[in-house]
Order: sequence, then structure tokens, then C-alpha cells
Amino acid sequence: MSLFKARDWWSATLGEGEEFDQGCLCVGDVDNSGTGHDKVVVGSYMGMLRVLSPHSSKAGEGPQSQADHQLLEVQLPHPIIQVEVGKFVSCSDQLHLAVLHPRKLSVYAVSGTAGNVEHGAQYQLKLVYEHNLQRTACNMTSGPFGGVTGHHSVCIQSMDGMLMFFEQESYSFGRFLPGFLLPGPLAYCPRTDNFLTVSSTRQLESYRYETLAVATEAESRQDPELPLKTGGKRLTPDWTVILGEAALDLSVPSFSHASSSICVLGERNLYCFRDNGQIRFMKKLEYNPSCFLPYASVTEGTTNLLLGNHNNMLLVYQDVTLKWAAQLACVPVAVRVANFSELRGVLVTLSSEGHLQCSYLGTDPSFFSTPKVDAREVNYEQLDAEMKTLQRFIREATRTQDILPKADTEEALTVTTTVSSSMDTPSQALIQDIDGLSVPSVTVKVKVKSSCVLQGSKLTISVSSPLAVSQDQFTLEPMGVGSSTVVAFSAFLNGHYPPADLTGDIALSYSSPTELNPKGVPRVHQSRFDLPLALVCMSTSPAKSAKHKITVDTNKPPVNLTAVFPEFYEKSEESDGNSLAVQFLSGARVTVLASKTSQRYRVQSESFEDMWLVIKELVQRFEHHFIKQGVKDIRHSFTAPLPLPEYFQTVDHHFQLRVSAQHYQDLLAERAVQFRAIQRRMLTRFKDKTPAPLQNLDTLLDATYHQLMALADAAEENRLLLEQAFVRLRSSTHLLVLLLCLWQGLAPDQTNILEATLLPLLQDTPTLGWEESCDAAVSHLLRSCLSRSPKDQATSLAQSTGPMLGLPADTSRLKKHITLLCDRLGKGGRLTLASEANVQVPVQVQTLVRPGGVEPIAEAAGDTEDPPLAQDAAKFIKKKQPSKKAKKGLVQ
Amino acid sequence: MEVTMDPLFLAWSYFRRRRFQQCSDICSKILEDSPYDQAAWSLKTRALTEMVYIDEVEVDQEGIAEMMLDESSIAQVARPGTSLRLPGTSHGGGPTPAVRPMTQSGRPITGFVRPSTQSGRPGTMEQAIRTPRTASTARPVTSASGRFVRLGTASMLTNPEGPFIHLSRLNLSKYSQKPNLSKTLFEYIFHHENDVKNALDLAAQATEHAQFKDWWWKVQLGKCYYRLGLYRESEKQFRSALNHQEVVDTYLYLAKVYQRLDQPITALNLFKQGLDRFPGEVTLLTGIARIHEEMNNITSATEYYKDVLKQDNTHVEAIACIGSNHFYTDQPEIALRFYRRLLQMGVYNCQLYNNLGLCCFYAQQYDMTLSSFERALALVANDEEQADVWYNIGHVAVGIADLTLAYQCFKLSLAFNNDHAEAYNNLAVLELRKGRIEQSKAFLQTAASLAPHMYEPHFNLATLSEKIGDLQSSYIAAQKSEDAFPEHVDTQQLLKDLRQHFAVL
Repeated sequence: MSLFKARDWWSATLGEGEEFDQGCLCVGDVDNSGTGHDKVVVGSYMGMLRVLSPHSSKAGEGPQSQADHQLLEVQLPHPIIQVEVGKFVSCSDQLHLAVLHPRKLSVYAVSGTAGNVEHGAQYQLKLVYEHNLQRTACNMTSGPFGGVTGHHSVCIQSMDGMLMFFEQESYSFGRFLPGFLLPGPLAYCPRTDNFLTVSSTRQLESYRYETLAVATEAESRQDPELPLKTGGKRLTPDWTVILGEAALDLSVPSFSHASSSICVLGERNLYCFRDNGQIRFMKKLEYNPSCFLPYASVTEGTTNLLLGNHNNMLLVYQDVTLKWAAQLACVPVAVRVANFSELRGVLVTLSSEGHLQCSYLGTDPSFFSTPKVDAREVNYEQLDAEMKTLQRFIREATRTQDILPKADTEEALTVTTTVSSSMDTPSQALIQDIDGLSVPSVTVKVKVKSSCVLQGSKLTISVSSPLAVSQDQFTLEPMGVGSSTVVAFSAFLNGHYPPADLTGDIALSYSSPTELNPKGVPRVHQSRFDLPLALVCMSTSPAKSAKHKITVDTNKPPVNLTAVFPEFYEKSEESDGNSLAVQFLSGARVTVLASKTSQRYRVQSESFEDMWLVIKELVQRFEHHFIKQGVKDIRHSFTAPLPLPEYFQTVDHHFQLRVSAQHYQDLLAERAVQFRAIQRRMLTRFKDKTPAPLQNLDTLLDATYHQLMALADAAEENRLLLEQAFVRLRSSTHLLVLLLCLWQGLAPDQTNILEATLLPLLQDTPTLGWEESCDAAVSHLLRSCLSRSPKDQATSLAQSTGPMLGLPADTSRLKKHITLLCDRLGKGGRLTLASEANVQVPVQVQTLVRPGGVEPIAEAAGDTEDPPLAQDAAKFIKKKQPSKKAKKGLVQ
Repeated sequence: MEVTMDPLFLAWSYFRRRRFQQCSDICSKILEDSPYDQAAWSLKTRALTEMVYIDEVEVDQEGIAEMMLDESSIAQVARPGTSLRLPGTSHGGGPTPAVRPMTQSGRPITGFVRPSTQSGRPGTMEQAIRTPRTASTARPVTSASGRFVRLGTASMLTNPEGPFIHLSRLNLSKYSQKPNLSKTLFEYIFHHENDVKNALDLAAQATEHAQFKDWWWKVQLGKCYYRLGLYRESEKQFRSALNHQEVVDTYLYLAKVYQRLDQPITALNLFKQGLDRFPGEVTLLTGIARIHEEMNNITSATEYYKDVLKQDNTHVEAIACIGSNHFYTDQPEIALRFYRRLLQMGVYNCQLYNNLGLCCFYAQQYDMTLSSFERALALVANDEEQADVWYNIGHVAVGIADLTLAYQCFKLSLAFNNDHAEAYNNLAVLELRKGRIEQSKAFLQTAASLAPHMYEPHFNLATLSEKIGDLQSSYIAAQKSEDAFPEHVDTQQLLKDLRQHFAVL
């Protein structure tokens, strides 16, 4: 990674298919021209020796000038593994070229003779002397060994660890390095006269020249098994430092006379030691280095070095601080600094493939330039057309498929319920007859037809008590596409009082597997069915007078009751069509009288609540009847004063039973405490070591037990009565709601509110009963939409935090409220939940009532004073960046 | 002209030039002729090791098993600023998640993906198994499996005739006596074969043979102990090695042990001690900066990254981290300069162009925004990156109010990466604007379940639920949002409202 590349001053590619390594490059004034200008000497593994003198090429010069730069090219018979320039010839101050071959060391003199013609000087290579080596050489180092001045000796390290020393033309001695396995770099430190190498034990070892000289002669130790000769000393290093890694290169730069430092380029770290083995600094390298060269000391005490790595970089460090980084064209295996005639301090780098480059550092941007994105020629019409097609596809796709599956428009299955028109014979009822009347039952068939695969379907049927069914749960077999299943069951009355509701609920839970979800998505399907009125009553003769009378008006001419209630006229002979009487199986007789002249119908009965089912049936059947005849605007009305006293009787009855249930509860608790106390006392008596008389405790226990049982029985009886009373209460409340609607002609939505207010519970519990919850709802309505003035609304709502709901002391408050409610409704009060001051609960209810009501919320949030959704919409969107970099290794 | 060279010399030369395959081939040939040539054997061992060598300092894969079955936990509730496990406990200066997104473990997203950025302690097993979106691969089950095993098997493939060295037949005690072979052999066993137990055996015998004076063997013992999860033992070895000779690597290893032991303060002190010895060492400075960043102390981290750049101004990690810090502190122009620098240095990948695009957008250089993203899309390497780029384009589209484009971009992002929680969140907001409550809710729930660490989906869900009157869900979601981002004012406000409301009821 670098900002700049090394500026190319001169470059050449040497040979073809030739290989070069670390030792193959050296610079020096090899031809002793005396100008101080360096020549570049390159030897290859293929045996080519080249001497080059680069100078900046002038414009207009062709390949011929390239030849001009090359002073000499000689093919030697052996591979060249290292070249060095030094004073290798005794009695000569001239620089000579030492060339190391695997088995030979040759020293050449390079000389040039100035030519007379334009072609320039002529250069010659002359062999001065050579040494044949017994062992394969690996590398060499040269220097004034032993402190001699004026000329250089050569030390060659062989592949098997022998150091061979040559003093110019003569071979002086050879020494084996101890513990040798693979050769490491070799360097000579002139200041301390030491040889440095990094051995296979991964430590930097320093050997004194003197020690080497007096150590055991290598040739005598050919066989390591033989004991050492006494003639020499065993070779031990002067000092060692453990590096823990193999070294690539070793260099002993000496920039001052006071000290010299030893730089070691390890595979992963760069070390710098003082010449006594103390560490000066080290730097962990985050790349794979290839070569290095300490070249100068710019400021006192620091070392500047060049470092090439395998990412084609040349880095300049001052100690550990990176000063410059430049991009190279290829991985350098050797780097040198040379002075040429036109430029001083040129970086000479050699790559493994023979790319020789002379460059200098400059601010040329690195030659990486981003490739162009395949930009198309912009043709706007074509683009527009393409865009349009694509948009159409997108629109199509968004309509048909989405990330979330759309809610199925068609149900996965259809459930059809058929209630048979005739009663079962024989009857399936559990209670065969009530008060001498036989209890009928009716068969209900449920047909499940699936349009997809269904699994684990369960059908549950629920009817309101005291109705019952012969089987209320069915497990269906897994169904395929288009298959259907039919289940049948009987419904009948299972109690001694009429029900409040003749509808039954069917719930079908199933799971429909999809491709991705083989276990299936659980779903529920619900449907309802209506049981016939004839299930709970039978026709009888009309009664002329009754305690409770309710008159319903219609706006249409009277109809024959035989047409409306055909099933009740089958058995009775006298069918005048003006009167109908039904006898509930366990209750009162209800008579319907149709006026011959006016459009009125009177329903009368001894029992108030029993009229509900009949009136409901009547109203429904009339509507049905007229719709069948094509009459649209059928309207029922009710004028007489509301039968509130009768209603309150039912309420009171229910309340009384609740109170007594509470009473029984208390009594039971009291007796239970007493029972336990007696038990405890008896237990202590029995456990006593000295038996004491029981003092009639056993009798007491017995009596309390009997009391408990009697109380429990009574409570259970009361519970049954309460259940019955609640059903009656529901009947009468339904009736009241119906009458209120008829009276005021309330719309269906208002009827729903009214029903929800007056019938908040489906079941009574000891803790939460009908009275208190109904009272709370009614008083809320009275405070909110039915209050006298909007001002009232606000104030009353503010203090609406009522006490906890609980069993009230009496029903007078509730009665008062209900009366007030009817009164307000009668005065034209309108039931609505969307009153202005209403902010809290109704939102929930509204969404429940009108599923479409949520639509405007998003908009409303935008323009009202409550803006979190709209305002924050931009904020929620996360500023999010993905991983900035991939792994480190990738980017370098 | 053909010239003959000594094959061993050639192999040695190839090794120096990092042509390991050629080196290994030549060595195999030599070994066929003379099977007992120790030099060739050693060179081949080194070549094979170098082929798969990864600096052990950088290798930090904490497996699920290590994390969840960690028994060495000392203090569950650490004091603020002393633990890496409680990322929220920064002492000021840390950015809030509203400004800078968080990773799954609750750290701010860093500018540079490195192996340890996926570490951190997940609270639940479920969270541990889930792959964070910022990491490329799933977490291995244990650190003994995962990458190391894959490397081992890969090296088997290159030698169809079987492994080069049969570890089971090695007489370790014999080799441990030979200091010139043992280190090479150790590295081979450790890096190439990934057989930590044998490596430990060898190291133990070798350090005994070296009379406990060779610091290198102690470091290797420490590495083995670290791999085996015996952190205290490895700490002891590293400490002892430092007494012999101070080396940068030892400091790094020891600091890694302390980080694993969740003692970031000790690690910081150690790094500083190392800096006293090796002033200006880049790896130590980077280590300090990383710890500060992980502890959510971004200001100090940036300071240290700047120090790194003073030593090495080509340090990619430092540039990227400073750049992303500038971006998240609302200085996109400066961030842009840093990223441009990276680009000039030759970093050429999808992430960089993506970041450039975002910076350009926030610096209002709109002309460059789209072309940067175009390049980023041209450079994507995998689906996750593509999803991220599309997500950011969608983000830009939201910024220029082209909601249709934004919608399509987020959809594309999800098409490329089905787990992109941020895209789900933003898509939900767009759906809500279209009035599709159910869709929006479903997307928010998906986003919340995919990324429980993000507060946005929770808060959006809370607001939405509150609007449609589902106060219970709203409250639950708001609480989750508060957990993810306790200082978020809007969440606080919403919670307050809800509590008041419930009190009234």
C-alpha cells in the first residue's frame, strides 16, 4: 500500500528465463575508472555475467542505446551465485570482481579501453586467479579479515557448513560451524573482527576470527564420529542471541568508527543489534520481506534502511519509523544504492526474473489506476424504454409476490353447517323428559371442504348452557386438496331452564403445510350455526291472559303466523293464524297474538325472560319473510314503556343468589377454620405421651364435619341456581336491548355498543360479576357520550379513576344507572365512542369495532401534534456501513 | 545454456524467494534419493510450514464452546471501564448507537474487520450461534476446529501420498535434543499439522533440554497453552520469556492472553510497558488502539491510531478506523479524505467505494455518490456485500426522498441477504408510510428477532403498537429498546407515557 511509486530512471530486463537471487547484484566502480561512478554487476544462475553502466536515456534513442549501457556480457560455464567487488588481488589497489560459482571462486579484473570510434569504450574481463572448491558453496563475505589493511580476504560458506577462508590467491583454512544444518546469511564485522551468521538453531552467532583460526582443522574432522584431535580448540561462538526465526539477510553497516550495528532481516521481524549482541531496536514486520539494505545514518545514532517486500514495495525506514513507501514494478530480491554519473543515490533493484531497475523516490502517484466501470454509451430513449419495462415487471412482481405472504383471500376451507329440519327419532337427549314433555334433539351436520392440504384438524363445538351436544370435539383425518369430511352430532336441551341463546359456535383448528414449513402454519376457522326454536319448546294452546305483555309494532300489514311459524302449526288443528303459543320445555308458556286489523303483535307470558327467544325469533322471521316477499323497509317498533321493573326483578334475583353464594363462602371458610382448629387440638391430645380425655372433641369434630358437608351441598345448589339465574338474566338483558333498539330504532353499531355495555361477561365468576362490570360500563357511557353537556364530559372523565370492581352492596345504584341510561336514550342520546374528549380506551374499541379504522393513523400522525412516527422515520433508518475492509491480508 | 546447480542450494534459494512449492518439490526429490538428508528434510518442513503460516497474534477465533463454557469468569459485574464484556460502560466520549451503529456484542462498528471484531461475549447460546453480519464466517464450535482443521486437511490434499511427517512415529524426545531441528519441527507441528498436544510435548522437552534458558521455547509453550485454553499457564510462560529477552511478539501474545482473560487494563499497561522498550512499535500502538475501541473509548482509540500513522503512514487499519470515526462524528468531508487516501494507496474493493459513496452523500457531493456506489456494486465479492451496498443506496434514496427507489433497494438488499435486519427495519418504516400496518409490524418483528442488539426496530415497534392501541406490546418493545440503548430519549418518553397510562388504568 503506497501512495507513490518509485520513479523509474532506468530499467532493463536481463536475459530470458534466467534466475537471480540475493547475491547476484552488486555495485561498484568495478573497472577502476576513477570517476567514482558505480557500475552494476549482475550474475545469473544461468552463468551470465553482465556489467552495466546505466545513464538516463535521451529522447530519440532506440534499442541501440540500450546496448550502449551494457558494458560487458559474458557467458561463464558455471552458475553464478554471488558477485562481489573488492580488493581481492594482492599487490594491487585496484578493485576486482569476485564471482562465486557452486564449486569455484574466480576473481576477474574488468578493464576498459577507450575506443577511437563513436561506438565508445571496449571492456574486457580477465581472469586473475581462481580457486576450485571441495564443497558446494552457498555464499561468501569479504573484508579485511584479521585487521589487515589494503586488501580483502574472502570467506565462503559451503552448503554443509564449512567456512573456507582465502587470502587472495591462497587458501588459508576451513572450519566447520558447530551444530550446522542449513546455511544462513553470513557477514563480517570489521570493527570487532567477527563473523556473524544466523544458524539453524535460529540464533545470531558471532565467531571471532582468531577463534576460528585456532580451532580444529576442518579437514581433519571429516568423520564426526572420530574424537577431536588435540591440535585445536573446539569452535564456540563469541556470543549468541536467540532470534527465534530464520534470517533472510544480515548486514553490518558501519557509519561511524565508534560503533557498528548489526542489522538482521528475519522472516517476520527486523532486528538491529550493537556489535556486542545487545539489541538496539526491533520491528515487527506485517508483511513478508524480501531484501534489505542499511544505507546511511542520516542523524546521529539512527540507521536508515531500505526494505523490499513481497508486495512489490520498497520501504525506507529510519530505525522503526517509516519514512517513505514506494511501489515497485516487481518483487526485489536484491537492492543496492549506487552513484552514477548523472545521478547520485540511485536505488538499484533486481527481481528474481531479471528485471533490473534504477529508480529514485518521487511523488509520482502509484501506478494503480482504477479500471473503468463498463459504462455504456448513454442512450436516453433506450434507457427510458428499458426503465419502463423494468418498472412494469417490478410492479407486476410487487402485486403478485412479496416477502411476506399476503393474507389468503380465499379461505383454505369452507365449513357448512346443516341443521336438520326435523327432530331426531329417537331423541338423543340425556334428560328424556321434563315435566312430562319429552326432550327432542336435532342433528347438526358439519361439512368441511378443504381447498388445500390440511393436517391435524380439530373441530370443537360449543353451545351455550343449558344446551348440550352429543359430542363436542372431533379429530379429523388429514385431508387432501378438494376432499371433504362430514361430522354429525345432536344438540339438545340439558337443563331445566330455557337457554339464552340458540346459536352454537364451531371452531376448526388446523395447519396447512407449505413448502418451506412442512409442519404447517396453524390456523383457525370459526363459524356459527343456529338451532331451531323447536328444540326448546313445543306448541301448545294459547293462553288468554298473562302477567307480562309486550307489543311489537310493524309498518307492514299483518301476516299469517302460520306462514311464519310453520313448524308449530303442524300438530295443532285450529290454525287461525292469529295466535301462536309455545310451551318451553321447562318454563312458561308464551303466546303470540297477531292483531287482525292493526299491524301489531302481542307476546305475552307468565315469565318475562322466556319471551326473549320468541320475540327474537318473531322479529327475525318477519324480516326474513318480508325480504323474501321483496319488501325492503320493514321496521319494527316498540312504544310501550320499557318493562324495567320486570327486568330489575331478574337482576335482583341474580344478585340475591350472588350474595348468598358469598354468604355460603364465608360460612364455609368459618367452619373450615373451626374444623382445622378442632383437628389440631385433637392431634395434640393424641400425640401427648400421657393420654388425656378427649372431652367430646370427637363429637365436635363430627358435628362440624356434618355442618361443612351441609354447607357445601347448599353452596353447590346455590351455584346451580346462580347459573340458571345468570342465563335468565342474559335472556332478559337481550330482551331489554332488543326492546331498546326497537323503541329508539338504533342502528346496528349502536346496538353493538349497547350490547357490549349491558352484557360484558359471558360467565359469572365469584370475583367479577355481572352487576359491577355492567355498572362500570353503563356509568362510563353516562359520563361520556350520554352526559348532559360536553363540559360535564371533560370533568367527569378526569375523575374517572374509579375504585376496584367488586360485589356491590345492593343493586339500587345499578338500577338507577340503567334507568338513567334508558331515559337518556329515550331523550335522543346517541351512543358513540368517538367523543372529542375521549382519548384513552376507545381507540382500542374502535379498532375492534371497525377494522378499517386504523387506516388514517399514519396520516394523522403526520399532521397532528403527536409526530413520533413521521418525524422519526428518517431517524430510524440506520446509517450503516458494512465492513470497511475485508481481512487485512486481502487489502495488502 | 543449461547449467547444473546443487539441488539443495536451489531449493534454499527458492525458499528465500518464497517459492515454497518449488522448494518442497526439489526437497522431495532429494529425499527420495537420500531419505536421511536432514538439511533437505528441515528445508521441506520449513517450506510446508510457511505455506500455511498465519501469525499467531492475529489468529483469534473464540469458539462457541470456549465462550459459553467459560469457567474462568471472575467478576460477573465488573467495574465500569475494566471489562470488555460490558461494552456499554464507557466513560464518556463513546458514541451512542443513534449516531454509530453497534455490533451484536454492543461495540461500535469498527472501520476495519479483523478476526477479533467478532469476539465479545454473547449473552445467550442463541446469540453465540448466530453469525454476526459484520463477520464473514460463522463462529467455529471450538477454536480447535474451524479454520485450523481446514488448513490441516488442505495440506493433506497437496500430498496425495500422505502426510510428510507422521507425527505418531516421531520420537519427540530424540528431536528435542537437536536444537537445529527442533524449532523447525515444532513450527511444522503447530502451524501445519495443528497438533497442539504433540507440539506442547515437543516444546516441553525442548525447553528442558535448553535448561529453561531459551525464551523462544517458552513463548511456544505459551502459545500451546493458549490454544488449549490454559490462559494462566500461558501467561506464566510469556512472563518468564519476557524476563529472558524482551521481544515484541511476546508482548503481543501476553496482551492477547489478558484480553482473553477480560483484563483490558492489564493488557493496556503491558502494551505501554512494551512501548517503553520498543518506542514507536506499530503493532503495540495498534493493540492499544484496538482495546480502546473495543471498550467504546473512541477518542483515545483515535489518538493512538494517529500515533500509529506517525510511525507508519501507510497503515491501512489506522486510516480506515480514523476515517470511519470521522464519518460517525459528522465530519464526512474529513472521512472522505481518509478514504480517498486509501484509494490512492491502491486499496480497491467494494467496501471502500461504498464508504466513499456514503461520505460523498453526506458531504453533499452528490455527483460522486452514485458513481461510487456503481463501482462498489461492480466490485462486490459476495452476496452479503451486495446486500450492504444496496442497503446504503436505499439509504441515500431515502435521503433524496425517492421512496420508490428506496423501497426497491431495500427489497434488493433483502433478496441478497435475507438476514439484513437494518433493511427490514427501514422497509418497515416505508411500509408504514404506505399505511400497511400489518406488513410493517411483521418486518419490524423480523428485524427485532434478527438483531436484538439494535434499538431501532424495538422502538419503531413500540411506537407503532402504541399507535394502534396495543399498549402491552408497545411496553414490551419499548423495554427492549431501552435495554439496547438506555439513553434514548424518545424511548424514555414513550415508556413514561405508557407507565402513566397503565397507572391511570
